[in-house]
Amino acid sequence: MTGGISKRIYRIQFALLSPEEIRKMSQVKVITADTYDDDGYPIERGLMDLHMGVIEPGLKCATCGGKVDECPGHFGHIELAMPVVHVGFIKEIKTLLDSTCKSCGRIKLTEDEIRSYREKMESISLSTSDPEVIGLMSKRITEEAASRTVCPHCGTQHSKLILDKPTTFREEGIKVTPKEIRERMERIRDDELIFFGLNREVARPEWMILTVLPVPPINLRPSITLETGERSEDDLTHKLVDIIRISQRLRESRDNGSPQLIIEDLWDLLQFHVTTYFDNQTAGIPPARHRSGRALKTLVQRLKGKEGRFRSNLSGKRVNFSARTVISPEPFLSVNEVGVPEKAARELTVPVSVNTFNVEQVRELVARGPEARDEADRYLAGVNYIIRPDGRRIKVTTQNAEENAKRVEPGWTVERQLTEGDIVLFNRQPSLHRMSMMGHTVRILDSQTFRFNLAVCTPYNADFDGDEMNLHIIQKEEARAEARIIMKVQEQIMSPRFGGPIIGGIHDHITAMFLLTHGNPMIPENVGVHMLSYLDLDEMPPVEVHDGKRYYRGRDIFSLILPKGLNLRFSSKLCASAREKCEYEDDPEDKYVTIINGKMTHGTIDEAAIGSFSGVIIDRIFRKYGPEATAKFIDSMTRLGVGFLSIRGFSTGISDYDIPESAIARIEEISNDAIERTEKLVETYRKGELMPSPGRSVEDTLEIEVLSTTGMVRDESGKIASNFLGLNNPSVIMARSGARAKMLNISEVAGMVGQQSVRGGRLNRGYYGRTLPHFKQGDLGATARGFVKSSYMSGLNPLEYFMHSIGGREGLVDIAVRTSRSGYMQRRLINAFEDLKVNEALRVEDTVGAVIQFKYGEDGVDPTKSDKGKTIDVDYHAYDIEHEVA
Amino acid sequence: MMKYLLFKDTKKNMEMLRKDLPARYAVEADLKDCPAGAAYVTNDKKSMIYRLKIESISPYKDQEGLFKKRQTGLKSILELSLVEPVEPLPLSEFKVSGKKIKEFVDFTVADLEKTEFTEKKSYSEDVPKEISEIISIASKKGISIPVSVAEDLAKYRSEMGKDGFNKLLERVYQDLETKQIDPHEAVGIIAAQSIGEPGTQMTMRTFHFAGVREMNVTLGLPRLIEIVDARRIPSTPSMTIYMKPELEKSEEAVLNLVKELENTTIIDVADIVTDIEQMTLSIVPTARKMNERLVKHTDISEALAKVKGITVMHDEEGKEIVIKPQQESFKRLYQLQEQIKVLTIKGIPGIKRAITRKDPSTEAFIIYTQGSNLKEVLEVDQVDSTRTFTNDIIEIANVLGIEAARNAIFNESERTLSEQGLEVDQRHLMLVADMMTFGGNVRAVGRQGISGRKSSVLARAAFEITTKHLLRAGLLGEIDPLTGVAENIIVGQPITLGTGAVNLVYKFNRK
Repeated sequence: MTGGISKRIYRIQFALLSPEEIRKMSQVKVITADTYDDDGYPIERGLMDLHMGVIEPGLKCATCGGKVDECPGHFGHIELAMPVVHVGFIKEIKTLLDSTCKSCGRIKLTEDEIRSYREKMESISLSTSDPEVIGLMSKRITEEAASRTVCPHCGTQHSKLILDKPTTFREEGIKVTPKEIRERMERIRDDELIFFGLNREVARPEWMILTVLPVPPINLRPSITLETGERSEDDLTHKLVDIIRISQRLRESRDNGSPQLIIEDLWDLLQFHVTTYFDNQTAGIPPARHRSGRALKTLVQRLKGKEGRFRSNLSGKRVNFSARTVISPEPFLSVNEVGVPEKAARELTVPVSVNTFNVEQVRELVARGPEARDEADRYLAGVNYIIRPDGRRIKVTTQNAEENAKRVEPGWTVERQLTEGDIVLFNRQPSLHRMSMMGHTVRILDSQTFRFNLAVCTPYNADFDGDEMNLHIIQKEEARAEARIIMKVQEQIMSPRFGGPIIGGIHDHITAMFLLTHGNPMIPENVGVHMLSYLDLDEMPPVEVHDGKRYYRGRDIFSLILPKGLNLRFSSKLCASAREKCEYEDDPEDKYVTIINGKMTHGTIDEAAIGSFSGVIIDRIFRKYGPEATAKFIDSMTRLGVGFLSIRGFSTGISDYDIPESAIARIEEISNDAIERTEKLVETYRKGELMPSPGRSVEDTLEIEVLSTTGMVRDESGKIASNFLGLNNPSVIMARSGARAKMLNISEVAGMVGQQSVRGGRLNRGYYGRTLPHFKQGDLGATARGFVKSSYMSGLNPLEYFMHSIGGREGLVDIAVRTSRSGYMQRRLINAFEDLKVNEALRVEDTVGAVIQFKYGEDGVDPTKSDKGKTIDVDYHAYDIEHEVA
Repeated sequence: MMKYLLFKDTKKNMEMLRKDLPARYAVEADLKDCPAGAAYVTNDKKSMIYRLKIESISPYKDQEGLFKKRQTGLKSILELSLVEPVEPLPLSEFKVSGKKIKEFVDFTVADLEKTEFTEKKSYSEDVPKEISEIISIASKKGISIPVSVAEDLAKYRSEMGKDGFNKLLERVYQDLETKQIDPHEAVGIIAAQSIGEPGTQMTMRTFHFAGVREMNVTLGLPRLIEIVDARRIPSTPSMTIYMKPELEKSEEAVLNLVKELENTTIIDVADIVTDIEQMTLSIVPTARKMNERLVKHTDISEALAKVKGITVMHDEEGKEIVIKPQQESFKRLYQLQEQIKVLTIKGIPGIKRAITRKDPSTEAFIIYTQGSNLKEVLEVDQVDSTRTFTNDIIEIANVLGIEAARNAIFNESERTLSEQGLEVDQRHLMLVADMMTFGGNVRAVGRQGISGRKSSVLARAAFEITTKHLLRAGLLGEIDPLTGVAENIIVGQPITLGTGAVNLVYKFNRK
C-alpha cells in the first residue's frame, strides 16, 4: 500500500509473436528435455533452467537475481527441428492458402478488383473497429479470390486444397508440408494482407507456422513436491518435454538421412504434440493424457470456461481480510450493525498508518497485545502485526507487546484488530443484486456466528437454517468512506428494482404491529411500560383510565416510534385484500390507516404499512426524513415487536385448525360430491357425448372440466373451514396481516388439500394408462388422478400421500432447473449492460460513446428514488401539505 | 371511381414505349370488354411502377409500327398516349369489387382506392389545456415536468386554492430535482440486476393465456429468456387482433373474421387416401369438419386448381375428389400427398387457430391467435391495424420497423414480469429494449449479440469463447482501450463508473 499517484494502463495492443521476437525475449534456449538432476538441482538449458525464474525458496533467478515472489519469471525458447502449424490459426491458414497463388504469392484477384476492394477495406477499417464487420468483408473478398482456379498475375493453375482436420493440408491427395505452407506464406505481399483481415503492422502470415516455440516462465508451470519427496511436474512441462524429445529425434533422423517415412511420422508426432500443447481438446485428435489417464490441461484449457484463468482468476479474485460463518438473528442489533464473533474479530485487522497525531494512541494499542481485554473482561481491540516502513512485518505477541509498542514510529503501519464501529462489508451469495453486499458497522459479540437484524434478511434473501455469510474488512480510507456513504444498510433501504423499500418488517414484526394496532387494544400500564423499556424514547403515551385501571392504547404506543410531522393515509392490506366484506363495515374510517403529524389515529398496521417490498410508512419516512430516521424506525419497530410479542405471547398449534364436526362432515360431503361429478363427466366422455369446447379435443375438454370441478371444491372447503377460523386465530392473523402464509395454506390444513398437478394438468404418468398398478388402465376418476380429499389435519392416506409427493417433486425439479437458467440469463444481462452509464447530461452511453438513451428512462429519474416507478407521487404531497402543522 | 387495367411487363418494354409516344402496343389478353382509360404496370407483381394512358383498345391485327409484348398469341392493341414511371404503388391499394387483391392475376381491371394518410397530431397538441398550462408554468421556471405529473397536478389546482397549489408546485419542483439520477451511475448493471434477480422467483411452466384457457402461451422465465435472446421465432407465436371500432362489438363480424383468418388446410377438413395401385390420391371431405370451418366443397376444388402438375379425375359435390399426378412415379405421388395435406384452402398462412374473447369492461371482442403473420393480418380490412400486435418481436421489426420492435420488447417484457406479479421499474425494461435495438436491428443479449460486439478484447474473452477472441485479436492487432468494466477489473484498475469515474484532487494550501 504505497501512497502517491498510481499509474493507469491506457491501452493494451494484441499482436502475433514473430520468431525473432520469441528469440529476443527468450533468456535461454532450451535443448534438454530433462528437468532436475539427481541432486534436485535444475539442469542447465533444461526446462527448469534458472534463467526462466525460480520457484524454490533459497535459489536466485539467473536472469534478474530475484528470489521467489520477486522474480516475475522469464521466457525461454525451443528451436523446432521442422516447422509445424499453429492449431488456433488453422482456419486463417486455409483461407490464405486458398485465395493466394501458390507460385507468385499474390491474391487471386485482378488488379482492378484489388484496387476497388482495397478502397472498401480501407474505408471500413477507418469507420469501424468492429472485428465482425471487417471479418465479414474480408470473408467476401477471400471467397471470391478462392473461387478462382487460375492466378490472374502469373497464370498458375490451382487445384483444390483440402483441410484434413485438424492440421493436415492436402493438394490432389498429396500432403502439403508445413514447411511448404510456410514458404507460400512468405511470398504473400505485405500490402495484400489487408484483404485477409490481417494487420500488417503486427502480423505476418508465416508466423502462423511455428519454427520457434516460446517456453513459458517456470512461475506459470511450477512443479510440486509431494510428501514422499517425489517431484510432480506441471502439465505444461510434461507437454514441453514431449515436444523437445520429438524435436530432437526428428532433427537427428533428418540429419543422418533416415527414410522419408520415418521423418514424416516424427514430423506428424511433433505436430500432434505442439497441437495438444496449445489445445488438448482439438476435435479430431485424441487428447494427450497423463500417466494416470487424466487428460492434460494445456494452454487453452487454462484460459477457457468457468474455471479458466479469465473467469476464475482475472474477473474474480480470492481476498484476504475476510471471514465466513453461519448466521443467526439478533433483534437487538440495529439494521446497520452486524454481530461479529470475538474469534473472527481477533483475526481480522484494519491497517492504521502511524503519524505524529496518533502515535501515542497507536503505541497504547500495540502495548495491549493481541489478546487485549478490559477490566470487565470484555473484548478490546489489540494489534496483530506491526509493519515497518521497509515492509517487514513483526508479529505482536503478549510477551513482546510492550517492547514493540516503543518501537512504533510515525511512518509505520499497525494492523489493528476489529473494533466496534468499524465499517465492514457483509455479503450473502448468490449476489444477485447490489443489496447482496452492504456496509455494516461492527458489534463484537460472544459465540460463533454472525448476527444481524431480521429486517435485513430480505435484501440478502437469508434465513437461518444454516446459511453462511461473508464478511470483508475494508483496508483503505477511500473505500471506507464509500462504504459509509453509499453501501451502508440504511442507504440501501430503497430498492432500485421498483422504487420501494426492500428492507422492512417481516414475520413477527408484522404480527406484532398488527396485534398492537388492530382495533386499537387497551394495554395495561405495567405491560406497556415493560414494552417501552425496550425502546429509547423521550416521551410516554397518553394514559386512559377505565374502571380505575390505567391503560395505554396500542396505536398510541405505535405512534411513539413514528417521526413527528408524518402525514399519511393509505388502505391496509387487511382491507384491500378482503374479498367479501371488510373487517370494518361498522367503522369505515378504519379501512384506512391515517397518520396525522406522526400520530396514528385509524386503521391497522400490517404488511402494507411496514412490510419489506410494500411498506408505505417505511417508504414515506425514507423520503421525508432520510435514511437515518428510517433505520431508527425499523430498529424501534423490531424492538417494539419483540417487546410486545414476548409479553403478550403468540403461538400457533394444531388445535388452531380445529373445526366443528359439522364442518368436517360438510367438507366430506362436497368432496364426495366432486368425485361423483367427475365420475359422471368421465361417463359422458366414455359414451362420446361430451361436447368439446371450441378449439380443443374432447380429452382436453374433459381434463379442463374435471380440473375446474376439483378446483371449485377446494375453494369451497377453504371457505367452509375459514368460516370457523376468525381473526382471533393466530394462523389467520399471520395470513391476513401478511406476516406469513396465505389463507390457501390454512384451508389446506383445516379443509382439504385438493387436486395435485404436474405441468398444469392432473397426474397421469407412471404406468401404462394409470398412475399406480392397482387402478384400472385408463381410469380417469378423481382418486386415480391425484385428487386429495383429506386435509393435513386429518392426515393423508398412503395413496394421497403418494400423489401429493408427485406434485411436490415437480416444485423441487422446477427450482433446480430455474436457478441455473435464470443464473445464466443474469450473467448475460450483466455482461451486456455492465458498461452503460449516465453522463452529466443524463444521457445513457456505452464505452465508445454511442448514445443508448437521450434521457435516462425518459424522465431522468432514478428508479431508486421514484415513487414505485412513478415520477412523483403528487397525491402524497397534496395530502402532506393539507395536514402540515404550521 | 376510376377503373384501371393492371398487368405485368418488363421495365425494358416500358422504356422502349416511352421513347416513341404515342405508340401502339400489342398484348396477349383479350380486352374487348375493358374500358379505355388508364393502366398500371408492375414488374414484380407487388407494386406498380409505370402508369399508362390508354386512348383506345382494339382487337389485334398485324400492322406496321406495332410494339409487341411478345411474339405469339397477341390479342389486343392498346393505343397509348402516355407512359410514365411512378412512385411504386403497392398492389394492396387496388381493389376488385371492393376486395383487396390477394394474388396478382395478369390483366385485371381494378379500382384504385388510395389509402388516406392523416398526419398524426403531435403529442403536445393532444394534451388538454389545463395540463399544458401547468407544464408551461413549470417551464417558465426552467423545469420540465412530465405530462403524467402535470395530469396528477391538474386535479389539485382548483381544489387547493392558489397558495396551496403554489406550495404543491414548489414541492414538486424540489422533488423532481432530488429524484434526478446521479451522473456516472451504472444504470446498465442496475437494470440487469433488477431483471435478473426476480428471475429466480419466476415459474418455468407454460401457462394458459389469461382468461383464454384454450390456448397455451409461453410465460414466465422461458418467455423472458426468449425476449432477451431475440429469437427468430418465439416458441409460441401468438397475435392479439383488434377489430375496427365500428365492428368490434358485433359478434357476427368477429366470428366471420375468425373464419377468414384461420388457416385451413385440406388435412383439417378431409382425409387423404393414397391408392398405390391406381396411383391416385382421394380427398375425402368430412362434413362435420367442413361445417365447423365453414369450408365449401368448391373451396377445395378451387384450392386444388392452383396446384400444378395434377389431373383432377373426379370431382363431385359431397363426394371424394380424386386426383392423379401427371408424372407417374411413387416418389411424385408421395410428394403430392405431402403437398396436398398442407394446401391452404382459406385463411392466412401461419394462423393456426383463432379464438375470440369478450373484454368484459368494453364489451369489445378481441381475437387471439396461435401462430403469427403480422403483415397479412394487418392487410385485412376489418382489422384495426393501430392496435393489433404479435408477440414475435423480430416479425414486428421486419414489418413495422425498429422503433416498433423497441416498444414490442418493452411491452412483452413488461407483460411477462407483471403477469408473475413481479414489480420491476419500467426504466430498466426501457434500457434493455433500447440497448437491444439502438443499432438499427434487433440484437440479442449474449455472445452473438451485444456481448460479442464489445470493443474490448478482454471483456469478450472473459465472457464466452475465450480463445477465439484472443487469437483473432492477435491477427488484427486489436487494441483494447480499457474503457469498460470487465477489462479494467481484469487488469486490476478502478472501473470507470460511479465513484471510479471522477477524480478528486485535494489542493494543499501551503502556508
